[in-house]
This record gives sequence, structure tokens and C-alpha cells, in this order.
Amino acid sequence: MGRRKFLAMSGIAAGAVWARVVGAAEAAKPAAKSRVVVIRHDALLADDLAPERVREVLDEAARALGGDAKAADAWARWFKPADRVALKVNCLGYPTRPAVALGLARAIQAAEVAPGRIVVWDRTGRDLKAAGYTLSDGPRGVRCFGTDALASRGNAGYAAEIASSGAIGSLFSRIVTDEATALVSAPVLKDHNLAGLSAGLKNFYGAIHNPNKYHDHGCDPFIADVCAHAHIRDRLRLVVCDAARPQYHLGPARRAEWQWAYGGILLGTDPVAVDRVGCEILERKRAAAGLKPLEADGRPVRYLASAEQRGLGAADLERIEVVSLGKPWQDVS
Amino acid sequence: MSGEACRSRREFLRKIGAGACALCAAGLAGGRARGAASGLSVTGEPAPGPADAPQPQVAVHDAMWFERLPDKAVKCTLCPRECTVADVERGYCGVRENQGGDYKTLVYGALCTMNVDPIEKKPLFHYLPGTKAFSVATAGCNMECKFCQNWRISQYRPEQVESLLVPPADLVRAAKAQARGALTLAYTYSEPVVFYEYMHDTAALGRKNGLGSVMISNGYIREPAMRQLCEQVTAVKVDLKAFSEKFYAEQCAAKLAPVLHTLEVLADVGIHTEIVVLLIPTLNDSSDELRDMAKWIAKTMGPDVPLHFSRFHPMYRLDNLPSTPVATLDRARKIALDAGLRYVYVGNVPFHEGESTYCPKCAKTVIKRVGYRTDLAGLKDGACAACGQKIAGVWTQDQALAFKPKAKAPAPARPEPRA
Repeated sequence: MGRRKFLAMSGIAAGAVWARVVGAAEAAKPAAKSRVVVIRHDALLADDLAPERVREVLDEAARALGGDAKAADAWARWFKPADRVALKVNCLGYPTRPAVALGLARAIQAAEVAPGRIVVWDRTGRDLKAAGYTLSDGPRGVRCFGTDALASRGNAGYAAEIASSGAIGSLFSRIVTDEATALVSAPVLKDHNLAGLSAGLKNFYGAIHNPNKYHDHGCDPFIADVCAHAHIRDRLRLVVCDAARPQYHLGPARRAEWQWAYGGILLGTDPVAVDRVGCEILERKRAAAGLKPLEADGRPVRYLASAEQRGLGAADLERIEVVSLGKPWQDVS
Repeated sequence: MSGEACRSRREFLRKIGAGACALCAAGLAGGRARGAASGLSVTGEPAPGPADAPQPQVAVHDAMWFERLPDKAVKCTLCPRECTVADVERGYCGVRENQGGDYKTLVYGALCTMNVDPIEKKPLFHYLPGTKAFSVATAGCNMECKFCQNWRISQYRPEQVESLLVPPADLVRAAKAQARGALTLAYTYSEPVVFYEYMHDTAALGRKNGLGSVMISNGYIREPAMRQLCEQVTAVKVDLKAFSEKFYAEQCAAKLAPVLHTLEVLADVGIHTEIVVLLIPTLNDSSDELRDMAKWIAKTMGPDVPLHFSRFHPMYRLDNLPSTPVATLDRARKIALDAGLRYVYVGNVPFHEGESTYCPKCAKTVIKRVGYRTDLAGLKDGACAACGQKIAGVWTQDQALAFKPKAKAPAPARPEPRA
């Protein structure tokens, strides 16, 4: 076994030990709740949504999430000027809108991260273009390209060595392994026909070369295992989930008849908690629409519990503090 | 046909014509896809720029073997996984995609590997020994074996490998044009089940042009598709990974039972079949398991099915185990011979006596093998030259092409395209 592989494997084990130690320490005192901000604003529903408007909305959400008076202070909690920040959008089905990704990129620049150190990415340039993105690799502007743009480094843009984590063995995108010091998951909130939910954690299926291998059993524990790998776990700073028009049935392909105007963005540093809140929003909408709960519909969202077991965050709503800005987050009308 | 495809065909034919018959898997995506080009942006927003790589070729073609489900979903009925695939999603294999409720293969003729190999390399020892097989593969597999030798194509998606578009007619023409004449097309390296449509159509065309076709497979395929394919191919090699469900579940993300059923189907069809077992220390090499396996093969398929025990070397996700001791291979061979199987081989061990074929009656050497070199002096008209004992196998191209399944195969399930 090579040293690199040994370290990669032991990193997982070390993470598990860390989680146990923290767990033991926290048993002595009430655990702090994970905070998820749900900000709702009609402006997010606009067809001509401008990145600057998104930045304003995100600044407000970031202040609430970080407990800071100034947005710049909040963003500086999560990003340093030396960071290279990779915003993972989701281009499958109804995509993360370019205005949201670009507004997020602008907001992060408040932490004095130069635009050229920010990349908006997904699996392929073709996916990004189909979702309305303009590809760019300029040194000063925000960059935008797919993993395949790094193919000249070999392996179609994926790392050379298999990375193992629990049940998965995958090559991770070089955008993660070579380019990024910080990751932001910027998905869309939607139903998924197998996992039940596609949001911040499943978004990282787009970071591995073989996601097709990991859809059995509701993608569990595979989603959790992908995100528990040090490549993701150690880099992930924030989840910014576009919930302007969530899809509550028959995802992940876009089915407009199953979307509704929620007009929200979910923001959090705990990716499990963000997904859990997103799941609750979809479940409430499904109930309001007379649909079965996801579990009764044959696709319980199993991966949340696995993610919690791996120390990635809180899957129990009792341990999540949801901060509503605008309409109450539970209102799915 | 698109200009791009024509360009690829020319490239393919040029390569083949030059005798450089290998588009190696090692060249994955390195040549065709290039890195991001630089552009300039001073606004802080992405500016128009060519940051996208040239698009790898995928070859979209209607898939066979699926059923339509409500809400634009499909159920793939090609392999035992029977993936339910929602719109815009792919099956487990990564090469079959639901496009708006129509199921497509993305690898029809998208060949990522081509080589002219000795047929012994497949390995097929009782099928036209000493001949060449024009061997091809696409990306993808319907298993995930932790010890896969070819994982850099089998575990990749089609857009992640460099491929050339080679329609069936071009492949047949290229095989026929080989200097010393390949007699056989081999679908191999990755898993041909996942490029079923191309294999099916090419095998059919090959037969019309005097070429046999051999499927080198994990046997993870549903019965109707397998029976239908046997109308076209002329031999099958199945990798029997182990004889326990535990091994299949833990090491291959698959199940044993469907593979055994495929072997039963092949026996029923009567097609020439050989079986390979990769022996992995501590995982599938117990004497009890090997004995059960050999007895099952002898009972189900008869004593004449060639069985190859192959040596494992650390690979892919299973690199923490040593190579298989030769003594383990010897033990396995003895167990299988004792169980009544007549042709049992040892593979991946050059100069081993278990590479050669011996007459089950007089024990004389019928086919002497050293590596991929064969000496057929002991074989005469398909029988032992010393005692006249018939040796099971396919020994002439006429015999190969004359094969017809015993039972009529079902028509392939290929729903009409949506209106």
C-alpha cells in the first residue's frame, strides 16, 4: 500500500475517531444546534434574476447564519483570501441558475477572495452550457468549467488514484483534489427517484467519476461515504441550496408541473442539516399536495442518518435551528 | 453519417491499416480531450471563453431490452440488475441512458480498445486454437469487481475515455483485412453485456462475412437477451468470480445466482462455453467452495466444459492481498479434475503444465501451450492424434459458423420509439 493511499484511508479512520471524541465530550453538555437559514424573497423567482440581487439576499442570509452585523464578516468566517473556492452547481434537470452561482461568487468576494480564485463547476462543460453557464478560464474573472476541462492532466479530469471511503471507491474530480481549498455545494432542492432527495450532499455525486455505481438502496450509504471522504469533508465550507422552485415529485429530471414557487435559498455550514431541512420542505409540500411521504412512496431518504453517523452533521430536526427570513420556512403554499 | 464520425472512421482505418491495431486503454481521454484554454475576464464574471474540452464521442443508439414505465421512466431488462431509470439518468452500467422516456445506449461503436489478440488470451483454449481474435471494448460494466484488471475502461463512463466510432461494417472490414486474417471478433476487456446492441449487430454481420464472434463476459445477463445473442455469437467465455453469494455481494456488487443461470442457459443452448475462475487468496479459494463449484459445473454443463483457474495479482481496490500461490492453483486444478471435469487449466502462470490440453483417455498432450504459443501436433481432426479420442471443442471455422442454438430465441424487446 502506498503512503498516499494509507494516509487517505487513515484519514477516514481519524475522522471517525475525532467524531467519537467529540461525541463523548458533547455528552457532558447540551449539543449546540446546527443552524440553517431559510431566506425567502419573491425576487428569487424572477426570470431575469440578477446576480447582484442574489448577492444581496445571500448577504442577509449569511449575516443570520454567522450572527454577524456585517456580511463581510460572515463570509470571512468561511473563506480566506488565500482560498481557492470551488462552487459545485448541479446541472441535471432543473439546474442551479447561473445568477445564483454568480451572486454567490460575488458574495464570497466580500471575504477578499479574488474572483480568479473562484470556480463554478460541474461534471462537464456541456452540462454547464446546457444549464445556461458561459464557460471561462480567465485568470481574473470567476472561472467556470467542467471537470472534463482538466482532461489534459489525465483520466478525463479525474484524479489518478482511487480514493476509498466506506463502500465507495472513486476517482474525484481534479477540481476538488487539485484546484480547491474550499468547496461550496450549490445544488437545487429536488425530489430524486432513488435517493428521495437531491440537495447539498448528493450534489457531490458530480465530483466522482462513477456515480452510476452508487444508486442502489436509495444511494445509501454511498452519498454519505462520498461526502465523508477527506476530499469533500475537509474542504466543504458551506451549502447554498437554490430552493426558488423546488421540485417535490418525479425528480431529478425537470417536471415543471411538480415545481412550485417557494422563493427560497437554504444556507448552512452543516450539510446534513441543510438536506434535512430541505427534505422537510419537500415532505410538507408533498403532504399539502396529497402525495405520499417519500418513505411510503418507496424512497426513504436513508442517507441522512448515514451521514450523521459519519459525523457530517445533524439529521434530526430537533438538533437543527432553522432561522426563517421572510415567509416562514414551513409555509409551502 | 456525420463528418465527425467519418473522420473517426478514417482515423480508425488508418490505424488498423498501419498495423498499429491498438487503441490502448492507457491512453484514456488524454489525446482527444484537452484542458481548458485561457480566456480573459476583468469583470469578475465569466467571460465568453473556450474553457470547455472538445466533447468526447458518444455513440447514441436505440437500446434493446427495456420496458417503458409511467412518468417517462424505463426498466432495463438487459441484465439482472433490472435498473429502473428515471428520465435523464443512467443505469448502473453508466452507458445506457433514459432520454425523455426512450432508452439509449451511448456506446454503439464507441470503441475505446482494439487489439488483435491470440484467442488463447481470452482465454479460449478449445476454440480455434492458434488463431487471432480481433478484440474490442467500450467503456462500462454492470459489476464493480474490486479486483478488475481493466477498471480504467470498465469502471469509466463513455465520455471519460477516448473512443473511436467504428460502425459494425467497419469493424468487420478491418478484421477481414488483417494480414493473417482474424477468424474471430471478440467482445472483451470491459463487459460486452453493456454494449449488447453493438455486439449483437456486429456479430450478425460478422457471420455473414465468415467471422465468428466470441463474448468474453461476466455472464451477468438476463436469459432472453442471452438466448437471443446466441443466435449470433459462436462461443462464450464466462468469468465465474466465485461460488458464493457472499463473494459476489462483497467483491463484485452483484449476485451469483444469475451467473449460474446464464451458464445453465448456455448449456441448454449448446454453444461452446469456457469458464474462468480467478482465484483470490482467502476470498474464493477454499477447497470446499472449489469442490462445490466443480461438481456443479460437471453436473450442469457436463465434464467437457473447459475450466480455467487463473492467478490473481493485486489490482484496483484489492491491492492488499498477495498474488495467488501456484500451489493454490494446482490444488484447485486437482479438485476439479477429481470432480470429473476433463479439461482444467491453470492461467497466468507461464510454463505451467496446466496450460496444455491432455487427452482425457490416454493422457497424451493434445495441444501444447507455452504462454500464447500453441503446438497443435497432438490434435488431428478434433481428436487425439495418439488414441483417436474426440476432444471437445470448436476446431474449424466452418464448425464455428455452423453453430445454431438448440432452441429458438425470443425476439428482442425493443419498444417502438415514442411518438
